[in-house]
Amino acid sequence: MKWKKQKWGEDVGSIDFMQVVIGLLIVGVACVGTFQALEYGNDQLNYQMRYRKAMSIARSSVEYWQGRIHTDYPDEREMAGNINRGEESILDKMDPRTDVDDIYCNVSYGVIVPMRNVELGVDRSGNPLVTHFVIRSRVTWMEPGQSPTTPPHEVTFQGSMVTAAL
Amino acid sequence: MLENGTRWRRDDGWTFIEATLAIVIMAIMVLGLTIVLMAFREQLDRSWAVRVMDQYGNDVIENLTHDLRNATDVSVRPGNGNTSRIDVKYLDVMRRIPKVARYAADMRNVRITKDGQPLDPTFPPRKLGRGETYSIVQFTLTPYGADTDNQWEREDSFRRKASFISAAWDIKFKISYNRAAIKPGDHNWNVTKEYLNRVYVRNKNLIVKNGVTE
Repeated sequence: MKWKKQKWGEDVGSIDFMQVVIGLLIVGVACVGTFQALEYGNDQLNYQMRYRKAMSIARSSVEYWQGRIHTDYPDEREMAGNINRGEESILDKMDPRTDVDDIYCNVSYGVIVPMRNVELGVDRSGNPLVTHFVIRSRVTWMEPGQSPTTPPHEVTFQGSMVTAAL
Repeated sequence: MLENGTRWRRDDGWTFIEATLAIVIMAIMVLGLTIVLMAFREQLDRSWAVRVMDQYGNDVIENLTHDLRNATDVSVRPGNGNTSRIDVKYLDVMRRIPKVARYAADMRNVRITKDGQPLDPTFPPRKLGRGETYSIVQFTLTPYGADTDNQWEREDSFRRKASFISAAWDIKFKISYNRAAIKPGDHNWNVTKEYLNRVYVRNKNLIVKNGVTE
């Protein structure tokens, strides 16, 4: 009686060690890429939270100057703005266990500009009367890991206000 | 070679060492992937919870800011814990009658209410994970400079006119998320976020405060 010829050892459709290693390598690279993409997405969401906070800080600054113009008129020095000086404010605490990685922002405002309109009339000096004032505030900050040579991230907020007398 | 043609020694197929190495490499990869996935799962849960909290914080601030901008007057009373009960008086322009919107902090259910109704019925999330809790740390409305970490603002508030101070308000809303340790070796994880806004209630210094709109 003859044994049936076995086909277990044929090469067609089989896989060898090198192919397994290469396959695992590809899977590994794909996993690393996926997790890096997820981390990038997480970083972008964190950036959006900071951007939102910066916008809120800028708006608060404009609100303050709107109130000042309305009822407690600023002096000349205050009207000139502090665009190159600014004040430091905390933007994001990051890791709650430490203060080392906290992100700070610089809050400043530009020259408060009176907008004049001759249709309202003129004053004693012949200058058109002021209709309203334009206020611009700016918040700048550096993202974690950002190179110091690149420009900081910036949010600018503009508002206008009239004095209570108007 | 045996009579039936079977060959004992062949070059194709797997050697023992190759099979062992393949199994070891696959086991290491699966183990590494499992550890990373478990750690990332924790990171994802925390990240999601913080973003839900952040969205709610911004929502509360925006609502109150919007109402204050249109308000004719504001009154503040102490609430539970470090919170305020805020009554925002405004003019219903259509009916020409004064109305009041009442903001308060419901510490037990961890939410801010307006006229007794939650500002956002989806917060806090109904199905919290084990050990997850939210809590309101602060919800206050204070005059400009009264509650600030900024030394300049504190000093500036003493230089300002009474009409400005009475109309400039600082909203401060602090909310905290805590994940208690569940397994041995875990640590508590807590993050507190602060939401601030400054609002100038311009109508307080205008004639519309007396209900005069024309």
